Formats: sequence, structure tokens, C-alpha cells
Amino acid sequence: MHSVKLPFRKVVRSTALVMTRLRLRECYKWSVESPCLGLQLLSLGQRLKRAVRCIASAPRTCPGETRSPAVLTPPVQQGAKARPLPHAQCAPCQTPPGPRACALFQACSCRPDPGRGFLQPRRSSTRAAVAEECGEEAVCVIMCASVKYNIRGPALIPRMKTKHRIYYITLFSIVLLGLIATGMFQFWPHSIESSSDWSVEKRSIRDVPVVRLPADSPIPERGDLSCRMHTCFDVYRCGFNPKNKIKVYIYSLKKYVDDFGVPVSDTISREYNELLTAISDSDYYTDDINRACLFVPSIDVLNQSPLRIKETAQALAQLSRWDRGTNHLLFNMLPGGPPDYNTALDVPRDRALLAGGGFSTWTYRQGYDVSIPVYSPLSAEVDLPEKGPGPRRYFLLSSQMAVHPEFREELEALQAKHGESVLVLHQCTNLSEGALSVRKRCHKHQVFHYPQVLQEATFCVVLRGARLGQAALSDVLQAGCVPVVIADSYILPFSEVLDWKRASVVVPEEKMADVYKILQSIPQRQIQEMQRQARWFWEAYFQSIKAIALATLQIINDRIYPYAAISYEEWNDPPAVKWSSVSNPLFLPLIPPQSQGFTAIVLTYDRVESLFRVITEVSKVPSLSKLLVVWNNQNKNPPEESLWPKIRVPLKVVRTAENKLSNRFFPYDEIETEAVLAIDDDIIMLTSDELQFGYEVWREFPDRLVGYPGRLHLWDHEMNKWKYESEWTNEVSMVLTGAAFYHKYFNYLYTYKMPGDIKNWVDAHMNCEDIAMNFLVANVTGKAVIKVTPRKKFKCPECTAIDGLSLDQTHMVERSECINKFASVFGTMPLKVVEHRADPVLYKDDFPEKLKSFPNIGSL
Amino acid sequence: MQFWGRKSLWLALSASWLLLVLLGVSPSLRLAAPPRPGLGAPQGWPRWLDAGLLQSFSQPEELLEDVPQLQAPRGESCQRGACLDTSKCGSDGLKVFVYPVAGPISETHRKILASVEGSRYHTRSAAEACLLLLLLPGPHERSPVPPQWNGGRNHLVLTLHPAPRPRTFQLAQAMVAEASPTVDTFRPGCDVALPLLPEAHPLRAGAPGQLRQHSPHPRAALLALASERGRWRTADANSSACSWDGRCEQDPGGELSQPTETLPNATFCLIPGHRSDAWRFLQALQAGCIPVLLSPLWELPFSERIDWTKATIIADERQPRQVLAALQEMPLARVLSLRQQTQFLWAAYFSSVEKVIHTMLEILQARILGASAQPWLLWNSPPGALLALPTYSTHPQDFPFYHLQQGSSPEGRFSALIWVEAPGQPPLKLIEAVAASQHCAQILILWSSERPSPPRWPETSVPLTVLEGRRKASDRFFPYSAISTDAILSLDPHSSLSTSEVDFAFGVWQSFPERMVGFVTWSHFWDEARGSWGYTAETANEFSMVLTTAAFYHRYYHTLFTRSLPKALRTLADGSPACVDVLMNFLVAAVTKLPPIKVPQAKRHHEAAPRAPAGPGSGPESQPPARDCVDQLAAEFGHMPLVTSRLRLDPVLFKDPVSVQRKKYRSLEGR
Repeated sequence: MHSVKLPFRKVVRSTALVMTRLRLRECYKWSVESPCLGLQLLSLGQRLKRAVRCIASAPRTCPGETRSPAVLTPPVQQGAKARPLPHAQCAPCQTPPGPRACALFQACSCRPDPGRGFLQPRRSSTRAAVAEECGEEAVCVIMCASVKYNIRGPALIPRMKTKHRIYYITLFSIVLLGLIATGMFQFWPHSIESSSDWSVEKRSIRDVPVVRLPADSPIPERGDLSCRMHTCFDVYRCGFNPKNKIKVYIYSLKKYVDDFGVPVSDTISREYNELLTAISDSDYYTDDINRACLFVPSIDVLNQSPLRIKETAQALAQLSRWDRGTNHLLFNMLPGGPPDYNTALDVPRDRALLAGGGFSTWTYRQGYDVSIPVYSPLSAEVDLPEKGPGPRRYFLLSSQMAVHPEFREELEALQAKHGESVLVLHQCTNLSEGALSVRKRCHKHQVFHYPQVLQEATFCVVLRGARLGQAALSDVLQAGCVPVVIADSYILPFSEVLDWKRASVVVPEEKMADVYKILQSIPQRQIQEMQRQARWFWEAYFQSIKAIALATLQIINDRIYPYAAISYEEWNDPPAVKWSSVSNPLFLPLIPPQSQGFTAIVLTYDRVESLFRVITEVSKVPSLSKLLVVWNNQNKNPPEESLWPKIRVPLKVVRTAENKLSNRFFPYDEIETEAVLAIDDDIIMLTSDELQFGYEVWREFPDRLVGYPGRLHLWDHEMNKWKYESEWTNEVSMVLTGAAFYHKYFNYLYTYKMPGDIKNWVDAHMNCEDIAMNFLVANVTGKAVIKVTPRKKFKCPECTAIDGLSLDQTHMVERSECINKFASVFGTMPLKVVEHRADPVLYKDDFPEKLKSFPNIGSL
Repeated sequence: MQFWGRKSLWLALSASWLLLVLLGVSPSLRLAAPPRPGLGAPQGWPRWLDAGLLQSFSQPEELLEDVPQLQAPRGESCQRGACLDTSKCGSDGLKVFVYPVAGPISETHRKILASVEGSRYHTRSAAEACLLLLLLPGPHERSPVPPQWNGGRNHLVLTLHPAPRPRTFQLAQAMVAEASPTVDTFRPGCDVALPLLPEAHPLRAGAPGQLRQHSPHPRAALLALASERGRWRTADANSSACSWDGRCEQDPGGELSQPTETLPNATFCLIPGHRSDAWRFLQALQAGCIPVLLSPLWELPFSERIDWTKATIIADERQPRQVLAALQEMPLARVLSLRQQTQFLWAAYFSSVEKVIHTMLEILQARILGASAQPWLLWNSPPGALLALPTYSTHPQDFPFYHLQQGSSPEGRFSALIWVEAPGQPPLKLIEAVAASQHCAQILILWSSERPSPPRWPETSVPLTVLEGRRKASDRFFPYSAISTDAILSLDPHSSLSTSEVDFAFGVWQSFPERMVGFVTWSHFWDEARGSWGYTAETANEFSMVLTTAAFYHRYYHTLFTRSLPKALRTLADGSPACVDVLMNFLVAAVTKLPPIKVPQAKRHHEAAPRAPAGPGSGPESQPPARDCVDQLAAEFGHMPLVTSRLRLDPVLFKDPVSVQRKKYRSLEGR
């Protein structure tokens, strides 16, 4: 009985091992996504099947008979019944337990072919031969594996009775098949999907379905000029969304033909394809038309000129969710057509939103349409490296080719007046015809490379052409040249969110003659700022079709979810400014009324006696309005209510779930005042005058940490790192929170917005929570701490963390480590060093003590 | 044996089949497979095989065809830049002339007229004006076409009534400044949107914002809804089922508190979008209650320059639940900043008729200035564009207020400005002490005496320049171009300072560049007996002014003093020299809303303030000679801007029981 069970288990196990090895070594070695994998497993299955057959009919049909049995070294079987290995024919495989067999196996295993993505045998040329060999080696591998992992392995099968053997072999094959099936099942969906993916990729634009538009199909109304988001936009479709992101659906691409089979327009342009790809790849995209809030037709109206207006409108109207164009977004960069060039798309579009390049104040529906740039294909073609701001060769440059004669006259007059500093470029006439003529400009007989020449100028004129929106604007920004926009009533791109005053100069057309004077009056520093800003606008919003598409969607998204809208600074500040600027969360200069008072929070563990003394002392402070004791000891109950000192203000005890230092900074609901006094349960040496004065100082600096013992951080030049200093220094950069006033908002920040793992780190080390708080406040406000009143002999205020131990060297080392750790998490050293502390006005002045407001200060 | 063997075999067989079936069918197994990107993701826009062959949307030839037509015909209506002919304005920028109003005028109109006339842009001559302001009377009165109408060019028609415009004449190219104009008629870049002012809006100063603390009080209501008859109803945070269309009233719960006619005490104020409710907006703003505008049909005031997204939330009235949910879940940081911004905007632009009118003129001036107008930051962060003059600089770093936002810090050097009024010995010791400071960049002597200045001045390590003053007290705050640093150390010849005192005070100033840092202080008080303000130089536990006979401050305050203060105030101050000091303190306090800073001085400053009574012991009988000054200035300002402080900033080791050798500023301690 025993002998039957055991081999069965072993066989299964060894097979599994082989499988694992095969999968791991041969397949996982390459990417799982390789389409080879499924096929590889299939061939593996064949191999194993053959292997089974081989085993079943052993020894007669086993391949490799010709090989010498002499090489065989029978594995020693443990126990008394050691037998010679009967299956000698397969011996060569076993020789070294692994290498040879595996070398053989690898030889005929599959390799992914980067060219075709298919399996390809490396050595053999014909598939049949491979199969033959693989079958052989699979057996070997199984055998080898059993040799390696189960010493008794190879001996098992022949040892069994023939009757049982059949069962075992059946069982074995079933299990094998099952495993193969499982493996296939696991990878099947992927192989199907990748092939279907592959088929999608293979689709051609010529194969898109054709839709016939009857001549009498409905036409949408013309655009409604009075549309606003709350009148024409169906906000219910967007619904409540925890991520505050709109869902955008893209209609699938179709080819529209009229009754005679003549196409309505070119199917799609390169840019519009890019645009739809960008939307499809973004977070906004959904493929569920029912969940979508915004619909983007795949009908390309980027350029109006090749469009058949009426038929395009009909095509729009038959879209499945058209519904008078509600929540539909059309992208158009070149509106209008000869002779009058309208400034908005002429295709009747009813209520659809229009993201248009070249809006004028007449056609732009403020807060509904989005003004977008006209994409310049040169952006992708030409790589202009960023050029630092500063004076350039030409002060003013005009590079547009098609300029109205009147404007040209004015420009040339400017050039005549100011000579070298103004350069007016024309289309080159004497060049041989070629596509590159777009990239050349001429002045007299001099040829300039466009757009490189733009980098030589400080200001670049962007005149209106037949259309208001000009692709030249994008080129100019790319070159870091400040655009001088001369196009009356033009709505600048993304003007809803971008502050163009920072990056451009807008000059009315009738003032064109004064343009030089106007530009000269701009200080050099401001020009440099504008140059930087221009380049940043291009990088962020003009550079690619993707950037344009995403900015447009973001603007619409911000309208629908205004509570989560992106701020002015995020849109407009270049990264360098964003990084260095500080926006103080308490920026309003506001001195809170004294009547509000403060809440004292005493963190305690079990020093009840000392705690009661602190409570008694603190309760003498006139402005105290509430006392909160944070009981951090879970093993001990706080003293009974009757034992607590009787004080004039409410006293609350909060029991914590865990003994953590960060409990001191939790924004408890009980804190009703803005001012919080954090105080340790052993700070009994502060007088009531000192505490009251500290509160007065906090009122004048409500956005700072106002504390008693001050500390300093120093740069250790020897060790090249920060060092903590508690000596008597002339400077201070931190205050200990063993006794400090601060705004309760910082509790919220500490608990929920502390960067990195600092909070957990502090709780794990039971130290440095005060340094963390100093870092946090300094980082968010950009301001220094205020140390109040002279230095006192504190009973080692920072020893609470390590409970009683004196201020020794290890403690200082630990604190220094904290500073270094926090500085690396914050990515900067936010602490500010100052040389001053706050004292009462008459502190130590020659004045009668009894007339001073805070006489009892600094005395020991 | 065989029986058992067969049985177990069958058992094993069936078990393995079962296992197989389970494994095969179980979807969990599929999940166990490594996650693949394509699985479950939406079917995106296809990657076309022949995408590379697609044509660009615009062909280069098109660029060449893009030749403009002749000048497009301009409409009669006002368009950007078309209706304000800036060439008339000259180099000074805006000059405003107001047409005299015939007949009796309303109280509001009187205030508006007074405000325009008090503005620095006002002119009495229609010829030199580049903007002509026409005040439209009430909706029922007729107004004649003014004489210099000229199609409305360079005209601003001001109307405070949200009624339909009078049709007596075509507005044509005239700009319109209107209270809460409807979005349909508002022409951006041309018209100016004004706030809808209540009748009783004060002319000057006005009530301060009601916010007393930065964060919302934990017990304050979450919402206040504008309801009928000018009342506010407050609702609690959990009234999510309640919306603004009146359904609340059917709710049985007592979620609503009593309606209140005073300003709402809530975090958010919901204001319907109708034009008739526009006046609630200012109420909410003043109360520090974040206005939530429900699809407003009117343009927000001064939206051309003020970024309202920083102080209000514009929501869609069709989505009550979403809006309420979003308000409840709004991050605390956002609530904090919105609340503070309401207060800043209220105080900077809306609290009085004068501020509203001046803001309107400032916006017009900004249109004329174009690129050299105040940038966004100056409009939208304290102290606001009325107090950040573009004529001084358009670079935020040049002002004392924006160093944090710009990530910059004030310059590390200062200019000493010694004002010599009475002839006497040149203050050699003082010059020496100041010049010895490592931070001193230059010394300027402002010679304001009748006698000519001595030809020889002592040799100093820093450049010394003598400026000729015009013998007026306000001279000392003139923005001399010779001042080359941000910081000014203003001195009197009588001041006595040591180098380390100067160094320490300058260090303190660098931490507080927007405040005045001084050595000698005065304080103001309310004199119950006389019912007026007074000030004293007595030694006291608090102070609210520092003497500019020895004080650090930013040079921008010179510009502000000379360019923005009404002429009347400066004349008043010139009459009494001590008053100039007070006026400067008033100005800085009105801008910063913070007290000045006092730093210690080793010796008593007995001879420093000859105009003020001497230090302690001189008794209450000796008052500063011009004690009316504070009272008059407070009346002119419309409120008392001075703020009292009770602290002094000392060196960290000041008078600490530690070796003097360790102290950097040991000489400050005297004995």
C-alpha cells in the first residue's frame, strides 16, 4: 500500500517541478507579454505528451539508444534495495544532472524573434525535426529533474507492476493534461487579446465603415451665441464624481459620403488623429457612451477649408448622441474661409462647445468656448533648445510671410527708423521651389532659417492674417521670443486660464506705429521674465497636440468641478517659481482677539504628580480657555475625577489608543480655539506671566511656532551633514514643543499632510516629533520661529522622549540624525535661522517692576 | 490490497478531475495570472496602420494664402482698445474729468463724486482729461447727451442701478461701469463690472471684515442660504438633502436655525444667480463667508483683474447634491485660503465707496499702462493693487510684500538717510557708527536747513551723498532716486546708535521687510475725557508707533507716502513736523495691518526726540505738542489703523546669565 502511494506523489511532484522549471527558465526569462508564450506552452505540451508516450513504451521506443550506457553513473538509492538503473537507454541525459540535458533542451526551445514575434527554433530548420528532438529532450528533462530532485525517481516506473503502471501513467497523463490546460487557460485570454489588439493595430483608415448621408438629412442650427455652461451644457451627464474628472467619449471613425458617393471631407488629419489618441490615452477617456459627459466626434473639423459645410453639419447631426450638440466638443484651429474669414467655425453646430483657434470677441462665448492655439507643425519638426533670457541681436522681428501691405508698410517704416534692431523678413522669392521654402525667410538678399531666426530676437511680431489665430505664435513662443500680438479683438489661446500679460505684449492695430516706443518702455528685468514665461507656455500648452487637447479638457473639467479647479499659480507659474515660492496657509494679516484664549494640551504618560502641578500652574494663565490632557498610557487609567486639581476652565482627558508621540499633535475636536499651547507634563518652571506673554506674542505671529526653549541646526563641515545644537547660541531656528504656542491648523497638517514617512518614523523612534513640527511649519509658511523670553534652566525638556536620561551625547546624535532625515524627506532645509527672540517691551528696562505688564519673566 | 489500490486510484482520479474542473473554471485563477495592461481597460482610439500617411491639417501653401483682407470694419460698439484712445492720456496715464451733475443728487452719487475728486487721477479740466466720466442719474430721470460726447469715445458711463439702461442716447463706444451687469451685455475688456453697493455704504474706510480667526469656528454653521427679504438662513453640515429651491422648508427636521438679518456666520454662503441677489455677495464677502454663486447671471465685480476663483466658488445650481457634497468635503487648506481671500478682497477693494471707485479707476489706468500695469500677483494678494503702485515697479520682488510668494529675500544692504533740519555740528559719530556696519551700502544726507551744507564731510568707508531738501517735513519721505537699496535706515542728527545696534536691527528688518523696525516708540490711546485720539511718548508696556528718527523700513514706503497719500494729509503733516512721523506710521499700519517692531537700544534715547517729551518721569502733563495730529489723521483715514504691540525683539542671549564673550550683540546690554 505504502509503496503505491509514495511513487504517485513523487511523480506528480517531479512533473510539477519540471513544469515550473520549464516555465520559469524558458518562458519567464522573456517578457510575459511575448506572444510566443502561448505557442511555447502548446509545443511544450506536445513535448510532454511525447515524453509520456516515451515513458509508457519504455524501453523499446525510447530514443537515444545509440548513446553509450557507459557514461551512466547510477544514482545511489538510499536503503537496502538499491538497484541498477534499468532505463539505461536514456542515460546520456542524466550525465551531469542538469547541464547537458538543459543545453539540449535550450537548443530546441523557442526564442522570441523580434522581427516577427513568433517562435523560431534556433538550431533546426524544420519544425518536424524540432518536434522530434524536443520530444526526446522532454523525456530527458523529466528524468534529469527526477534525478536531481528525487533520487529514487528514475527507478520508480520500471519497479511498478504493469497493471498499476497503466493506471499511473493514465493518471499522470491526466494530471499533466490538466496542468497544461490550466496553463493554457491562464494565458489564453492574453494570447487572444494580443492577437485582437494586433488586429486593431492592423486596421487601416481606408477600411472604416462608410456612412451615406441623404441629401435631406437634418442640419443643426447655427451656433447659439448666448450659450453658457448653465444654459446649454447638460451637467447631469457628468454627475457626481469622486475623482472630479469628466468622462469623454470619442465616436468611432466613419467615412461620410453624400448621395452620389462623394466623400464629405478627408477622413482625418494627422493632427486630429493625434488629438483623439491623446484624449483616448488620458484619464478622461471612457468607452462607455452612457457614462460619458463630453462627446468628441471623430469628424475632423480642424481646418475648415477642405470641408463641405452643409454635409459636415449633417454628419454631425446624425451622431448617436447629438441631441442638438449638447455636450459635444469640436476642435477647430483654422476657422472661416475666403473671402470674409469668419473667426469661428462656419459649420452649423447648434449647442456644441467649440475649441477654436482664432476666436474674436464677437464669436467667442466667454465661459463656454475654449480658445486654443493654432498648432504649428514646426514644433515637432524643429528642435529649438531653450535659450537663456537676455538681450538678443534684434529687438523686434517680423517673420510672417503673408502680411497685409498696410502692416508691411508700417513695419518697414519701423525698420527704416530704428535700423539694425528691427528686422522684417519676407518670403523668399528666388529660392528654387520646394517644401523647405516654409523654413526660409529673406531680408533683401540675405536668407534666414526659420524658426531659428526667432531665437535672435527679443520681441517678435504676431500679426493677424486673414485669420486671427496664427501658427506663428507657437513658433515665437518656442523660440523664447516675446510675442507682440497685433490682432484686434483676438482672444488669445487659453486666455481663460493663462495670464498673457506675463508672456506677451498686446498692441492695438492703430498703435502699430508706436510699437517700438511701447516695447522700449518695458524694463529689461520684465522682458527676461516674459521670455522665460513665453517658453514655459510653449512647453506646457503649445508644444504638442496632446498638450493642447489636455489643456482644453482641463479647462472644461474645471468649469464642471469648480471646487477642484486648478489655480492660477498652477496654470501660470513656471516650475522654478512653483518650487521656490511659498504660499503661507495663514497669509491674512490678522491679529486674533485676545478674548479667544488658547487651549493647553498636556501630553502625559504616568507622571501624575508632575502633571497636576503643570495643570495648576497653567490654569493661572488668564487667557487659558480649556485644558486638554492627552493620556498616552494604555496600561493605566487616569486618576479619578475627584483627584484632579480644581481649575476654573474646562478640563478634558483624552485617552489614546496607542502610546505615540504624534498623539500630541492630533487635531482633537475638543480644541475650539485657534491657539494651542503644547506643554509637557514636567514643564513646571514657566510662570503665568511667561505663558500669558507667549500667548500675546503668538497673537502677533499666529502663523509661527512661538516657543520657549530654542534650538539651532548647524551645518557640520567635517561630516558634511546637519547637526543639532542646544548650547547657548546667538541664533535660533527651532523651538521645542515641550512648551510652545501654535495655530491649531498645524495639528491638522501634522496629522494628515506630513510629507513622506516622517510621522511613522517619529512614532517608531519615539523622538523628534518637535523637530518634525518645526520643519513642517517652516516649510509651509517660509517663516522662522519666535523664541520667547530668556533662557531658563529647563529640567531637560527634551528628555521626556527618552524618559529621564540626561542630555547626553547619544541624544544629540539622535536629534542630529532626525534633522538630516527630515531634510532629505523635505528635499530642502526649510528651517530659518534668526538672531532675535521676543521679550516684553520693558524687559530688564530701568522701570519700576510693579508697573510692568509682565514682571515675572526670566526669574529662576 | 488491490481493492484498496483501485479504490484509491479512482478516488485520486476523480479528485484530480474535480481539481481540474475547479481550476479551469475558477475565475480566481485568471486573476492569479500577472495583470496585463490591456485587460479590462476601455477600448481606445485605434492606432491606425497607415497613421504615418495621414496629411497634416494645414498645408504650408495655406500659410501663403493667409493674407488679411483690408481692415475689418469695426463695429460701433466698444471693443478692446478701440474706445479708449490712450494717446490722449500722455505719460502720466489716466486723467479723469467728471461731468457736473445737474440738479439734486442722491447720497450715493455724492459719495462717488467725492471719491473721484479725491483720487490722484482727477482733473478739473475737461481738455486735459483722457477719460470723461458721466454719472447716470436714477432710472427714472433723463440724462442729456454730454457736450464732448464724440460717439462715446473715452467716455465712461457710470451707473449704480441694476435697472435697464436709459435709452435717451446710444452708448455707442462709451465704456460702461455698471453694478453687477448681466453677462449677456457685458463686454469684457471694455466695460467695468462694479459691485452692487448698498445705500449706506460708507464713503471712506468702512467696516473691516468680520473674520476674527483664520479657520472656521468648529461650532459655526456650514451653510447660510440667502432667503427672502434680505435674510440668511443657516443650515448644518448634515442637511445634504436640503437644497436651495425651497425644498428645505418641507423638511421636518429642525436643521434650519432662525433666519438672521445680520451678516451670516457660516463657512459658505449660497447666493442664487439672479441679478437681484447680487448685493448679497458683498455681505458674504464682508462676513468672511465664502460666497458660493449658483450659476450667476451677472458679472463679478472687477473680474478683469480680480481672480475670483481664489475667494468664491461658482457652482451649477442644477446640482444641489453635488455642490453640497463638494462643500462638505472641501479640504481644510482650501477653505482657509478662500476665507482669508474674501477678507483681503473686502478690505482692499470693497469696504468703502472710495475704494470701489479708486479700484475702478485703477483698472482703467491698468488698461492704459498695458504691459507696465500691476501683474496678477499684486492685484490678488495683500495689500492689493491700490497700495502697490505700478509707477514704482511692476516687479513683485521690489515690493516688501511678496518675498514669500516669489521665493526671494530682501536685499542684504541698507542706505542710511540722515535728515538734517537744524544747522549744527555734522553728526560725525553717528555717521561713523553707521558706516561701520557691514550691511551699510551708502549714507545719504538730506540737507533741509536754511544754511548751506558744509562743504566737507568726513571720510567714510561707504559713499556719502548730500541731497538738497525742500525744507518741508515731508521731504524726508520723498522717493529720492539716489536711494539704491530696499532698506532705508532713517536717522536724525541727534540719534545715537552703535554699530551693533544697527546690525541687529537690520537683521530683524530682514525678517520683517514690510514693517518698520525702530528703537524709540510712541503709543496712541483713546482719550475718554476729550473723546478723541491722543498719543504719548511715555515709557509704557505697549507701543504702536516707532519714530523715524531711528528706524529701518522699506524704501517703497517713500513712494507710497509721496504718491498715494492725499495731498491734504501731507499738508497737514507738514504743518507739524512730529506729525510726519505719525503719518508714516499710519500709512505703514494701514498697509500691513500689523504693528511696528521695537528693538533694544543700549542707552536712553534722550536727545533723539526733541519734538516729543522726554522719557520716563516727565509725567502725564507733558504731551507732544501736536496732539491733535493723531486725531486729525484718524479722521482723514476714516479709522484708526494703528495696531498695538507688547513685545520687543531682543538678541537671543540678551541679558542672559552667560558669559558675555558668547554674546554677539553684547554692547546692546549696556551695563
